[in-house]
Amino acid sequence: MWERGAERHAREYTTMSGCDRDGACGSTPAAGGAGAPPFRALEHFAGMVDHCLEFVRPAKEGGTPVVGILCEFTPRELIMAAGGIPVCLCGGSAETIPAAEEVLPANLCPLIKSTYGYSVMQANPFLELADLLVAESTCDGKKKMYELLAERHPMYVLELPQKPGDPDARAHWRRELEKLVAQLEQRFAVRVTDEKLRGAIAQMNRERHLRRELAGLMKADSPPLTGCELLELKSLISCLPADLAQYERALEELPGRNLEPPLEGRVRVLLTGVPLPHGAERVLQVIESSGGLVVCQENCTGIKPLVEDVDPDAPDPLQAIADKYFHLPCSVMTPNAGRLDLLRCLASEYRVDCIIDLIWQACITYDVESHLVRRLAEEELGLPYLRIETDYSPSDSARLGMRVQALFETVASRTPAGD
Amino acid sequence: MHCLGIDAGSRAIKVVLLDADSRELVAWKVGDQGVRQVELATELMDAVLEEAGVARAGLNGIVATGYGRDALEFADTTITEITCHARGVRQLLPEARTIVDIGGQDSKVLRLEAGGAVRDFSVNDRCAAGTGRFLEVVAGRLDADLQDLGRLAASSETPSAISSMCVVFAETEIVGLLSAEETVENIAAGVQTSIAKRVAAMAGRRVVDPVVFTGGVALVPGMQRALESALGREVGVPPTPQLTGALGAALLAAKGT
Repeated sequence: MWERGAERHAREYTTMSGCDRDGACGSTPAAGGAGAPPFRALEHFAGMVDHCLEFVRPAKEGGTPVVGILCEFTPRELIMAAGGIPVCLCGGSAETIPAAEEVLPANLCPLIKSTYGYSVMQANPFLELADLLVAESTCDGKKKMYELLAERHPMYVLELPQKPGDPDARAHWRRELEKLVAQLEQRFAVRVTDEKLRGAIAQMNRERHLRRELAGLMKADSPPLTGCELLELKSLISCLPADLAQYERALEELPGRNLEPPLEGRVRVLLTGVPLPHGAERVLQVIESSGGLVVCQENCTGIKPLVEDVDPDAPDPLQAIADKYFHLPCSVMTPNAGRLDLLRCLASEYRVDCIIDLIWQACITYDVESHLVRRLAEEELGLPYLRIETDYSPSDSARLGMRVQALFETVASRTPAGD
Repeated sequence: MHCLGIDAGSRAIKVVLLDADSRELVAWKVGDQGVRQVELATELMDAVLEEAGVARAGLNGIVATGYGRDALEFADTTITEITCHARGVRQLLPEARTIVDIGGQDSKVLRLEAGGAVRDFSVNDRCAAGTGRFLEVVAGRLDADLQDLGRLAASSETPSAISSMCVVFAETEIVGLLSAEETVENIAAGVQTSIAKRVAAMAGRRVVDPVVFTGGVALVPGMQRALESALGREVGVPPTPQLTGALGAALLAAKGT
């Protein structure tokens, strides 16, 4: 019965995600190196949603639990060690927002509205298949939306401490993860042993390592792929064996890939702020079709969750997991000095020309924090800074393009040969 | 040789012809924007060239700017209005460090380095409350034209408080004020204060003197005073403030020669 439903959901989900509609976004001439053939790994990831479904369906039929996650703070390792499949459910589609707005306020982050809208429309097959959702107390908008999501789906919410420097925070977060483990053990009738945790840590570390290496290719003067293409190399489900093989293949293929014209000379952009979930890649496309190259994304769909591994040799694997995830420099943390430190490192490692700070409409924490990022960029790093506040609607793309072009003209005027 | 700058804005098209060597203004025209944007821009350009006795073939460069810039295929280059406004202001007032530009559809605040290069900028283009569009809506509601609205505002002693953040609701608020028998003068002044405060909020604490006020709204009587009071500092208005973008475009066209 659920299979037929899932077919329909899969079709809708695929149609609603912008990238699938347009083909791989990196292969559009405006965004990529003009006329560059897509590399083979990129072709693989163009079918990402289908691959995930093909993986989840038989597994679910065979009794494997499917666990939806809604934020990078949830350790996938715990779900994997409990024998479940963690699936990312963050909504990136403008098309589910009107349905969400029948309940949620219009002036709310589009990621929250889109995620909830998928539930209202029953249009995300992974959400419909999920045996449990794991979320956490991050921003107020998400937290309150989870209460509504819980009316249709079994939900477990972790309480995330938000003062990274507080001496009690580490113990509290560990305790929250212990309770999640107990919940998973009870619900799925399994035992989460240290051995299973270590196995999951090894898998996730391997994936993080491969994705870090791929992101690192952007450090070159003339990178072998665009930021749009790099963003395509992802999956809603981590550690799928076929995906890991393709990451490795991309690392072999890409260094020899010659783009014509080469990407050297494009304005090197460090994109920071909110994540760009599947289907919400528009701002990245606007930047790259205006003559920029996003060499690094300091956000949750970029390098932020990849910079730190879980210590594989720690005597207490649960504590090692807790430590890694608690270090994520999200704007819900106060103070969030870790983000500024990360931006300092990335600006220098990736030799960026400017910083673009993306804020989804009504994302209070990233919006307020943008003041500190601007100050860091302009006063400390001496880099031009542009703040973009928008949502998933394409209506302001031309206006955003004007601002991005003006930023790039400013970058160009700072280099010699200005008038 | 001559160079041409065209600023295809949301409410008006501005064309400026420069002598490429002396950088002197040779001729200029401003026309209302309409449906046939490319034709209107072409007609305006031809009128400017005819007045100056310059053939199109004798032009050394055409730079287009403004939101309609990409449609003007006869232009050699397009450059954003941010860079063009900064360049135009640098010519008129080289010491300027902040530009407040209020146009028909958006408002911008540009902060300049000493020397006139753009340091950073903010644009409001999602809301009409800080733009010329607000003045037009109110003028229509008060049965006045834009110039009259300015003169009316100048004679107000206690501008009305207009608190709505959105033009649509501000219009409703104005209907309420009218029915409460508030004077047209006070309402007009209240609208000007409201626009100026919105733009001042966008500028934030990053304003550096001297401040220059440009864009079509700078031509409306009373707006300069309203902006000075909202920013708490003096604001200069160059002659022909609506031409800075087109002037900058023409200067950037001359640079390419």
